[in-house]
Amino acid sequence: MVDDQVLKEWFCREVLPLERALSAFIRRNWRDAAEVVDLRQDVYERVLLGARHGLPAQAGQFVYTVARNHLINRAKRARIVSFDVVVDLDAISGSDVLDPERQLLAREELRRIQLGLDKLPPRCREVVLLRKIRGLSTRETADELGIGIDTVEKQMTLGMRALANFMLGGSAKVQRSRVPGLLARRPAR
Amino acid sequence: MTRSQDIEARAAEWLMRREQPLWSQTDQAALDRWLDESMSHKAAFWRLEHAWQMADRIGALSARDIAPRPSRAGLPLKWWHAGALAASLLLAIAFFGLHSRPALSPQPSVDAFDTDIGGHRIVPLVDGSRIELNTATNLRTLISNKRRDVWLDRGEAFFEVAHIEGSAFVVHAGPRLITVVGTQFSVRRDGDNVTVAVVQGRVLVEDTTPGASSASITVTPGDVAIGLGSSMMVVSKPVAAVEDKLTWRDGRLVFDGTSLAEVVDDFNRYNRQQLLISDPAVAAIRISGTFKASNVEAFVRLLKEAYGLKVELTADGKLKIST
Repeated sequence: MVDDQVLKEWFCREVLPLERALSAFIRRNWRDAAEVVDLRQDVYERVLLGARHGLPAQAGQFVYTVARNHLINRAKRARIVSFDVVVDLDAISGSDVLDPERQLLAREELRRIQLGLDKLPPRCREVVLLRKIRGLSTRETADELGIGIDTVEKQMTLGMRALANFMLGGSAKVQRSRVPGLLARRPAR
Repeated sequence: MTRSQDIEARAAEWLMRREQPLWSQTDQAALDRWLDESMSHKAAFWRLEHAWQMADRIGALSARDIAPRPSRAGLPLKWWHAGALAASLLLAIAFFGLHSRPALSPQPSVDAFDTDIGGHRIVPLVDGSRIELNTATNLRTLISNKRRDVWLDRGEAFFEVAHIEGSAFVVHAGPRLITVVGTQFSVRRDGDNVTVAVVQGRVLVEDTTPGASSASITVTPGDVAIGLGSSMMVVSKPVAAVEDKLTWRDGRLVFDGTSLAEVVDDFNRYNRQQLLISDPAVAAIRISGTFKASNVEAFVRLLKEAYGLKVELTADGKLKIST
């Protein structure tokens, strides 16, 4: 059994950099864009459950396999695809490995953080800045801004989530691919 | 809200609460339980935690980058104003060495440095400053044009700060924030207890614990500021006594009528071979002298021969000192 700390480090180092590629893969192959985030979370969970018994040598390949199997299982369970589509599923996506995002240079990474910040609503951004630059607690932030601590907490968690989505590249606007994914076909009968 | 968004929202709540000052063991246990409930909880929490750590780099953005939109009152800006003000004040009163002013790299990055038990390491920083790490120390640095930040996560370090106009040098030590107005000082951190000793120049020590945000003191040469929990006190000592506290820099420990209990604590900081005192009478024995920090053997021999104490090895490998 892999130790939690080791598992976590592996997850952050090897799997999270795949998030952009993984999200794109799911989006390409799944009919309902609203489900992409849920599916990605399912994939992460299964990846961790698998890796717990031994870290895979090739994270990109492993995550791809898990993602592909999960989409197939979900599709079968949903009974939305006919047999020929399942056959097509075996040919899902051209590549058989997900590419990690290129390691960002320090300056690019900083630039991305800044873009992420700029996308936050003003209040949310302010709360995040007070936390990250001045290290204020939620209580101090509430006092400083003259707003309720509930508001601060809400804005802070929203900020955390939005920044994570932005920086890991997951939720850049969901874009429907021009060529509909395989599962975009409605069941024929 | 979808299932995964629901989990993510809860993970964010945990993450936020964990950063608050009142976070307790009980809270941690509750978080651990939640994480253990499902691998999907771990996935969501680890992911957010990772990204949120990446966002620490926000501190490296320059004031211009994060200036608030013009339509709104600028809170973050106030901070930078304060910094500029402090910097100009600093010019008037600061004692600073004749350091050259190297051009700083426009690309700041977080660097981590640490030492093991018994370790000792000197780290030159890109801005021309130097940090000397004592035993069992972890610290991180973030150097940018506008600001130099050091986080002392544990242990002790001695700082020689290159004076750069308009660039504050700030040491974060748990609940204390140490802003440097001067040049040579040390910071030691044991959990939340922080000790600052100044050899040259002056530093400002602020309490960052909630409710005490305005408490700050200036520490000048010969002063040792000790922050314990919410209280902070300054002890004035002869400069020589402060320098004795810094003899670790050349591997020596100097004691002058120090209780054996404190001496043992000091040796234990530097050595894997731990010492143990069982008897209060023994703990109160006063010790004077200069010792090599890494030489426990010599110290133990002295206790046996000069003080007639008994030293025996316990089952868990510690050396127990008794009469």
